[in-house]
Amino acid sequence: QPSRPVDRDKAESELALNIKKATNTDETAPKQKHVRKCIVYTWDYHSSQSIWSGLRVQPIMSDEVQTYKALIVVHKIIQEGHPITLKEVQQHVGWLDTCSRTVGNFGLGYAPLIQAYVQFIMSKLRFHRHHPEFNGLFEYAEYITLKGVDDPNEGYETVADLMNLQDGIDSFQRLVFMHLRGISNNECRISSLVPLVKESYGIYRFITSMLRAMHRRVDNADEVLQPLVQRYNGQHHQLRKFYYECSNLKYLTSLINVPKLGQEPPNLWQDPE
Amino acid sequence: MSNLASKSMRVVKNYAKAKVREATSNDPWGPSGTQMNELAQLTYNQNDFVEIMEMLDKRLNDKGKNWRHVFKSLTLLDYLLHAGSENVVYYFKDNAYIIKTLKEFQHVDDDGRDQGANVRQKAKDISNLLADDMRLRDQRKNRAFMRDRMTRGAPGA
Repeated sequence: QPSRPVDRDKAESELALNIKKATNTDETAPKQKHVRKCIVYTWDYHSSQSIWSGLRVQPIMSDEVQTYKALIVVHKIIQEGHPITLKEVQQHVGWLDTCSRTVGNFGLGYAPLIQAYVQFIMSKLRFHRHHPEFNGLFEYAEYITLKGVDDPNEGYETVADLMNLQDGIDSFQRLVFMHLRGISNNECRISSLVPLVKESYGIYRFITSMLRAMHRRVDNADEVLQPLVQRYNGQHHQLRKFYYECSNLKYLTSLINVPKLGQEPPNLWQDPE
Repeated sequence: MSNLASKSMRVVKNYAKAKVREATSNDPWGPSGTQMNELAQLTYNQNDFVEIMEMLDKRLNDKGKNWRHVFKSLTLLDYLLHAGSENVVYYFKDNAYIIKTLKEFQHVDDDGRDQGANVRQKAKDISNLLADDMRLRDQRKNRAFMRDRMTRGAPGA
């Protein structure tokens, strides 16, 4: 029972309505007020089960816009919901898979985006299965709080896995940009970039801190870490380009602050500021 | 007689709530220093504290059209975190997600002005403050020190 003044019955019935509205057939962004209610629900009751069953009763698969909106909602909820959400969603990978195989195509061109989005979410879920200590947005402070220390020994493989995920974000965001249409309303597609910007920046900052910590602790660091640093530098440039392109989308910059990276990757062996 | 008594009881009981409602109303000006200070003092009383949290919670979860409720509640919360009882800090650390999820608050008014931007920025600032124990402690200490000096007057006065 949360310390907030809440009413569970009311919350459940409101939740069903919020899910329905967040995933309706309008070709717009899922309304943030509805997504927020879902996220808050998972924190209030330390559970996301009602969300998954709520999604299942929606006719999501019959309409490509609905499917895509549902994926955006799912992505945001596993990013920002209570940590239990990331565990519970693992029981629903079958449902996600069905989403990508049953695309109700109405000629709006969402099918490839849906397939790529499911693929990305699946790889994210695999990552979290192997590294349960991370939260959905890869916030470094919370990781350190949990682990107690920044331990370089288990760092190498973790950083490599994070970099794979980062590459996954990069190829998906490219696909989204490729599918923006000159004339029509792009709001729905653009809104799927919001969680990608947040997640990629979380990963970027995490990797930066992790590599710095490893360099302080590992002998022969320059040599041992060389392959990771090379990859880090490449990803810095990819990400910078991604954020630059995002910053030109007026609708997107009205929703979130898009980070700005320096022209060159930071020198990891120098302490920041 | 008893009717009158229970009525006045109810007024007394909802005093803190009414104060929050007043401080976070839809009027186009911010909550006054006096209002916020009074509410900060009230948080040291357990009953008032509960009422204030209840009302704040309601306001913080208000809809886009009432963005002023949300924005002013954040302003008030910022004040309470600095000058109110430690319980405010505990409560909002516990419920940090209420504030965090406001970082994407949206409201564009009928004239096309983005009124959500203020809420988003304030939600970000307060989330950062809640996550930084040291800064919050320092700021609370400074605040108490200043208040102490102000009420006692300048040395030698």
